[in-house]
Amino acid sequence: MKPDALRGHLDALLLATLDGRQLHGYAIIEALQQGSGGALDLPTGTVYPALRRLERAGHVVSDWSTVGGRKRRTYRLTSAGQRALNAERSAWRQFTTVIDGVLGGDGKWAQA
Amino acid sequence: MGTGLIDDYVTDLGARLQGSRRQVRDLLTETRDSLTDAVEAHLDRGLDEDTAQRRAVEEFGPVRHIAREYQAELAVAYGARTLTLLAVVLPVMHALWEMSRMYFIGPWQDFGGPVPSWYMLIAKANDMTSGVAAGIALVALILGRVLARRLDTQLLARLAASIALLSVLVVVLGNVAILSATWQVDPQRLVQSLPMGIASFGTWIVIVRLGLLARRCLSCATIVA
Repeated sequence: MKPDALRGHLDALLLATLDGRQLHGYAIIEALQQGSGGALDLPTGTVYPALRRLERAGHVVSDWSTVGGRKRRTYRLTSAGQRALNAERSAWRQFTTVIDGVLGGDGKWAQA
Repeated sequence: MGTGLIDDYVTDLGARLQGSRRQVRDLLTETRDSLTDAVEAHLDRGLDEDTAQRRAVEEFGPVRHIAREYQAELAVAYGARTLTLLAVVLPVMHALWEMSRMYFIGPWQDFGGPVPSWYMLIAKANDMTSGVAAGIALVALILGRVLARRLDTQLLARLAASIALLSVLVVVLGNVAILSATWQVDPQRLVQSLPMGIASFGTWIVIVRLGLLARRCLSCATIVA
């Protein structure tokens, strides 16, 4: 999947990756790639500014901690971030339902 | 594990960034950690050292593109820090000056002779400038948080820098106006009290320092990383 197509969804993907867990930057990148079956083709360096943006918005918080013998910045969702994730999931379901109704193959557009 | 390519990448990235030293250091530390993790993952998959490093750097993204995104974040962070300083320092500075004035001079009506009504108008307006400028900075900070995910980061950084400059400009204009008005009405008032002269000089040092910070905000927001 191309970076341009992902850019608008990166925040939501990061929020979903951090749902219920605390991860450092590279672990987030690995979780994103595993979750997408390796289909996410995004420069990994773009994840860090996106995490800072989410931190600025109050959706994630970060702390420096020692993981695997190295000092790393780890991120977790705040309650505002959890609410934002729920809203993103709800909006995504609504979006896919509408688009699927048209492109999904059962609608009148597919039959035309 | 060798780190030649990683070192080169991090050094190149660092040379392109401008902002708070701590923020730049944090971002570069995180970058190095991420690249080291990626190299280790590639080594575990059986790649040799050079290929693992090259692959990690390629996956991280072209340094110019990554630097542009990092710089936008650094500029917003610098803008937020400057706006916070403005929101806190300006009212404190004004309160300290007013307290000094009450202590060393007392109420204005007891200082020198009567003054024209236009002078009092300028004096009252100047009294409000610090509060207005701090209010502008505070509102910008709140809006910045609300719009953090909705507005382009580079645009947000430029807005923050412009608002910081505007806030400082409001305070400068207020202070220049009252100094000019006092000079016009009775120049003796400007040199009548040494402690207040020192307090006013201190105020100007703070204003110039805040102005330099606001200008650096703009530089961070407009630099091509």
